[in-house]
Amino acid sequence: MAYLALFHWGWLAGALLIGLGMGWISVVHRGQPLSPAKLGLVAAVVAALVALAVAHLVPGRIGYWCDLGLALFAVYLAGCAVGTLLRQWVVSRYAAAH
Amino acid sequence: MRGFFRWASKWWPGLVPLAVLWGLAAWNATVPLENDLAAKATATLKDAILAQMRLTVAGRDVTLAADAFSEEGRRDALARVGGVSGVRLVNDETRLVPEAQPFVWTAERDVAHIALGGNAPLPAVKAKLLDTARAAVAGVEVADQMGLARGAPAKFDAAALLLIDQIARLKDGKITLSDTSVKLAGMARDLGGREAIAAALKNLPQGYSIADNAIKAPPYIFQANKDPVAVTVTFTGYVPDNAVHAALVAAATRKFFDEKVLDQLKASVGAPAGFANAATVALGALSRLSTGSLVMADREIRLSGDALYPAAADQIRASLGTDLPQGWKVKADISVRPAATPVDASVCQQLFVELFGKGKIRFDTASSAIDRDSLGLLDRLAETALRCPSAEIEIAGHTDTAGDDGTNQTLSEKRAQAVVDYLVRAGLPAERLSAVGYGSSKPLASNDTEDGRAQNRRIEFVVKE
Repeated sequence: MAYLALFHWGWLAGALLIGLGMGWISVVHRGQPLSPAKLGLVAAVVAALVALAVAHLVPGRIGYWCDLGLALFAVYLAGCAVGTLLRQWVVSRYAAAH
Repeated sequence: MRGFFRWASKWWPGLVPLAVLWGLAAWNATVPLENDLAAKATATLKDAILAQMRLTVAGRDVTLAADAFSEEGRRDALARVGGVSGVRLVNDETRLVPEAQPFVWTAERDVAHIALGGNAPLPAVKAKLLDTARAAVAGVEVADQMGLARGAPAKFDAAALLLIDQIARLKDGKITLSDTSVKLAGMARDLGGREAIAAALKNLPQGYSIADNAIKAPPYIFQANKDPVAVTVTFTGYVPDNAVHAALVAAATRKFFDEKVLDQLKASVGAPAGFANAATVALGALSRLSTGSLVMADREIRLSGDALYPAAADQIRASLGTDLPQGWKVKADISVRPAATPVDASVCQQLFVELFGKGKIRFDTASSAIDRDSLGLLDRLAETALRCPSAEIEIAGHTDTAGDDGTNQTLSEKRAQAVVDYLVRAGLPAERLSAVGYGSSKPLASNDTEDGRAQNRRIEFVVKE
């Protein structure tokens, strides 16, 4: 894992930035939220992929791309969470000031 | 917290650029990552003992194909690759090299090639054997026909290296090491090569044994050529050592009283048993020929030439048959020189004086037994006597003054008689010969010096008309 992080730090940083941006936007975004059913489906797919990756079931390059995708996705989620919390904090301070 | 989940359900649009990013990352990073892992895995296996190693990397999975030389080495190699940071899976395509039973290694040589075949236990040992072979025989092509196998006996390297040194001593041949037993066949390059190889094989590591040593040596040649025109006798070929060399040359100088001895002998080991005795006997036979050549090849003697008179030819053949050491074979091709033209008595006397000027008849100390070194001279005297059929010859024996007069008188008579007997056997009529002993009564030189006494001990031929 450490090797993956070191080798792909540029790409991971990119995913983090996308996540931060998406999290930042999501607080004031008026778009459709994902229904709980779809959210559950996404979670199930991700959980299945994680299980495959941990069990080393997918061989060769596909397996590596799967690992890479999951790593990018994890960093993206972390970016989203941080972005959301930051924006929420900024918004609440702004609301309190006015 | 509820708000956070509501917001989180709006994060999905970001997945689109994330997917693009993923695609780009996969496109750009895969090959560099694979190369990086391959380089690290190769580096970690740098000092591992493997043959035909092939590393292929797909994503983060490494496939290792190699021949290992022990189960331990095989597992160690897999563990090392698995331990490389970033490697996810190691696909094991390693195998153990086959075990050879028996473990056979060969070295084969002809004049311009050496081929190493059979099995070597490790790549490093194989390379070392090839290097040693190239160094041992400079300028000869060394072909590698060795495979790799497990099951080599202990100290295989030491044994094989020693055998490579031996292949350098062969002109052609084959050395086979089967487990711990060694077989050798072929022809040694130099005289003495067979002995050198036999001596070196004693240094084989413990437990190794010689199953068969069929190394042949080139024939051990000794040649002598008597040339009556140049009045020389030429020695070529080999003698075992300097002592034998000196003894043979000294004997030759006595036997060939008339000829100049040209000595081109070289010392070399590898002489057959009984060489010195056989050479002395054969040279004695050659010294009785007027012209002739002697070739001794191993234990075979070939003598050809012309005897001075018919009885001498028979005597030479007979003595070669009885005097040679056991195991020696002789092929004598002896003819008789045509009889020389008769001369009158005074010329005969002149010829006797000339012959005695060049050599003298020797006897064993205080005995009337003729020294075998004098047979050449006696044959020349007999031949001369045969040329003057009308002459009556007195064979006179003389001694020095050492010892009792009566004894000296008897000794001089007996010695003169021994010479007469020899001449009779040579075919001269006994009635033309008379043996007379003078004791010490007719000295040629002073009896006070050893040199003078030696001159006084003599046989003379006096022609009576």
